[in-house]
Amino acid sequence: MNLSYRIYYIFLRNLYSYKRFVVPTFLVSLVEPLFYLVTFGIGMGAYIGYFGGKPYLYFLVPGVLVSSVMMTSSFECLYGTFVKMIHEKLYDSLIATPVSAEDAVAGDIAWGAFRGLISGTLMMTVAMVMGVLPASVLSAALLLALMVLVGVMFASLAMIVTSFSPSFDFFNYYTELIITPMLFFSGVFFPLDKFPPWMKTLSEFMPLTHAVKISRAVYSGTLSSGLIWSLLVIVVLEAIAFTIGLKSMKRRLIK
Amino acid sequence: MTKTLVSAKDLRKNYGSLIAVDGISFEIQEGECFGFLGPNGAGKTTTVKMIHCVSPVTSGTLIVNGLPAHINNRALKKMTGIIPQEITLDVDLTVYENLIIFAKFFDIPKREAKKRIAELLHFVELEAKRNSKISELSTGMKRRLLVARALLNHPKLIVADEPTTGLDPQARHLIWQRLRQLKSEGVTLILTTQYMEEAQQLCDRIVVMHQGKILKEGVPSKLVAEQIGREVVEVRVPKEEDERIVGQLTEFSCGHERVGDTLYFYCRDGQGLMKKLVELDLHNYLTRPATLEDVFLKLTGRSLIE
Ligand SMILES: Nc1ncnc2c1ncn2[C@@H]1O[C@H](COP(=O)(O)OP(=O)(O)O)[C@@H](O)[C@H]1O
Ligand SMILES: [Mg+2]
Repeated sequence: MNLSYRIYYIFLRNLYSYKRFVVPTFLVSLVEPLFYLVTFGIGMGAYIGYFGGKPYLYFLVPGVLVSSVMMTSSFECLYGTFVKMIHEKLYDSLIATPVSAEDAVAGDIAWGAFRGLISGTLMMTVAMVMGVLPASVLSAALLLALMVLVGVMFASLAMIVTSFSPSFDFFNYYTELIITPMLFFSGVFFPLDKFPPWMKTLSEFMPLTHAVKISRAVYSGTLSSGLIWSLLVIVVLEAIAFTIGLKSMKRRLIK
Repeated sequence: MTKTLVSAKDLRKNYGSLIAVDGISFEIQEGECFGFLGPNGAGKTTTVKMIHCVSPVTSGTLIVNGLPAHINNRALKKMTGIIPQEITLDVDLTVYENLIIFAKFFDIPKREAKKRIAELLHFVELEAKRNSKISELSTGMKRRLLVARALLNHPKLIVADEPTTGLDPQARHLIWQRLRQLKSEGVTLILTTQYMEEAQQLCDRIVVMHQGKILKEGVPSKLVAEQIGREVVEVRVPKEEDERIVGQLTEFSCGHERVGDTLYFYCRDGQGLMKKLVELDLHNYLTRPATLEDVFLKLTGRSLIE
């Protein structure tokens, strides 16, 4: 792989272009968490009441946090990258400069993760305003790090899908068959204990499940050694997805 | 002393089972303008893409500035400026932002980049559009911006892939002037074009490409003289008359060719032939200087090329 510091230049390019969309995307990133937290948190929370000794919102927030990172990073590297690659032919001009195809793709993955981080951070801010606070300042810092990790993972996975997608419509398969089910099988909205064993096993294969586990533990400051396994799953999957994402995008970009 | 900047031997490129470039060899000297002339699909873009290291070579050798051309060759990309066939400007950015970001890609320090951008916007007459969006530019302006972008890194080699396709005459002449100016500053220029006039205006040497192969190589004016002669006389007569007319014009030793409704004569001396045509009571003729277009059409066939 031909990676260099020029990843940063691509990130910078995206930042330049983003300037024009900051206000609308911030609004979207704010409305989405409010939607989840208000409808599920308050509406459902009223029925469910307390959950492991704390209001339902404390259960919901950490899960929704990483889900929003997943959504934002994925969409950026599906639709965002596809537009840049096919419609704007941006990559064609990038790879004619000292920026390599790998630099360009990695720069977009970094950008996707950054967008995820912004969404997650906004969501956390809203939650904090609603009084749902992370256990400590350290917890908050760790959550930010987790968001980056989760962002890079989903951005890389999305990049793989983008690398062989013939058109926009193709992304529906990925979002409807993989991303959306993950929201419901990963313990974001309710615990997985009551799932039958096969569903529990299935959920273990979902990266979001592990992200939610870690997020919830970090948020409440109740870390345990069992989380190392989840962290390992995320890091390994991330490394694999990143490598494959770069290679298969390169195959598409260089003919 | 001229130095060879690009040297290709038996260069090939396949896209799957399609042969886009079919074993071509050529050498490009430092400081010259070298043209690839050919119809759509001849393999011009594919060839120059291999030269500027964005497309891998299938087989053969391709040496640029002493280094093998390769997609990971950042050193070559750093010394090359590309004016692509397709307009690949960053539509999310303004004119100025397009240039400042591109300068970054080449590691040009910000202060130097700003100075360079001011010079280049002046050079391509786009100062007034500095803060415009790309969508607000005309095609001619976009092409000029592509020229400016290609010059940010002070390239030693400029690859211009059909730089004036789709432009009106004014815009085309402006681009030609700028390219000639660069050449006079010692830059090596590789040009691809479908326009014979463009090749004649700009190129020291050209190759005529067709279906992935080089049909002919040479200096544009000499190619015309060798292949065609000085003048072309076109006579609009029915095909049945060919034999009779050609029989009576043998003394002029002109080459002739029938295409559609026209009989073409390629001559050194068009005047004598014309007099004779009048004597033969053939008035529906036209005489004009031979151009590269005739060479091109003679080599690739006058039939329509899709
Ligand atoms: N990326 C590609 N994939 C498959 N075929 C291609 C690709 N690019 C060009 N070709 C084919 O290669 C041939 C040469 O194309 P090209 O080099 O673009 O010609 P030109 O620039 O002379 O018009 C054409 O038949 C074209 O369809
Ligand atoms: Mg072309």
